[in-house]
Amino acid sequence: MTHDHDHDHDHDHDHDHHHDHGHGHSHPHPTREDDDVELTYGEAKFIALRAMLIEKGVITGDEVRRRLEINDAATPHQGARMVARAWVDPEYKKRMLVDGKKAAIELGIQVTEAEVMAIENTPEVHNLVVCTLCSCYPRSLLGEPPAWYVSKAYRSRAVREPRTVLKEFGLAFPDEVEVRVHDSNADLRYVILPLRPAGTEGMSEDELAALVSRDCLVGAALPGPVPAA
Amino acid sequence: MPERLITDIGGLPADAIPREEVPQLFWEKHMIAMFNVLWSKGVFNLDEFRRAVEATPVEAYKKSRFYDRRTDGMTDLLVEKGIIDRGELAQRTEAILRKGTRDDAN
Repeated sequence: MTHDHDHDHDHDHDHDHHHDHGHGHSHPHPTREDDDVELTYGEAKFIALRAMLIEKGVITGDEVRRRLEINDAATPHQGARMVARAWVDPEYKKRMLVDGKKAAIELGIQVTEAEVMAIENTPEVHNLVVCTLCSCYPRSLLGEPPAWYVSKAYRSRAVREPRTVLKEFGLAFPDEVEVRVHDSNADLRYVILPLRPAGTEGMSEDELAALVSRDCLVGAALPGPVPAA
Repeated sequence: MPERLITDIGGLPADAIPREEVPQLFWEKHMIAMFNVLWSKGVFNLDEFRRAVEATPVEAYKKSRFYDRRTDGMTDLLVEKGIIDRGELAQRTEAILRKGTRDDAN
């Protein structure tokens, strides 16, 4: 296996893999004076592709902008709201575990995935989510996936040595705790319902939601820290 | 045993998982939105997209970045469907790079 993982997360100026020609020219005119993101081959290709699709009437600029707005509303806070609601409302929790998509819609979240399945962590079982084949992720509930999630190293290792991976993420579970790994795909995406931490009994739903990070929602972290009473 | 697909890397040995937080660039986000629009309008579906990515040559796949795989897979499908001409796309991409600005953005 080569050290290909760094290509998944760095934003240096890798050229498109089909066209490995160095463009030796400089970039004299940034679009904005303070725009410090260099125009790469990948971005230029996207700009050209979009312009062509608009000219051909396949899409409109407005459609893309509107979708950008919808995608922007998708952040880990959406998933966190679901978790907090499930922690305070056992009936909601039941519905969430039966149909994650419906439960999200119930909270006013616009879900673009075909199916979302919520998996509950228990004292006996910890769950971790991966997508080994690509990088399927419950984007409506969590936003854009982090670099580690889409990295080839995580996709490869999460299913072979989940305990080691979790340890690297700072989570060490005793042997008695079973670790289950769930492999997402385009039609079915998993989200984790973490265990409610001790000492949170008096907290409001909003306060509880604030304990739930992006990584908790795929099983790579635990909620907290719980503020001292 | 059928040959393993290039994307089928679950369980293969690999190095450390990159942990630093990397901000998503605006074009990447914009490109994902365009991908979503094309998909929701039925121009292609996710299975076709996966098949396109799976057709990437092995060495290219190993070097590829997440967002470039998305742009390239989508491009291959649009070419296959006769919507986009690959030569024209290459020319226009080069023209944008030569100019060095994002003026074509609209």
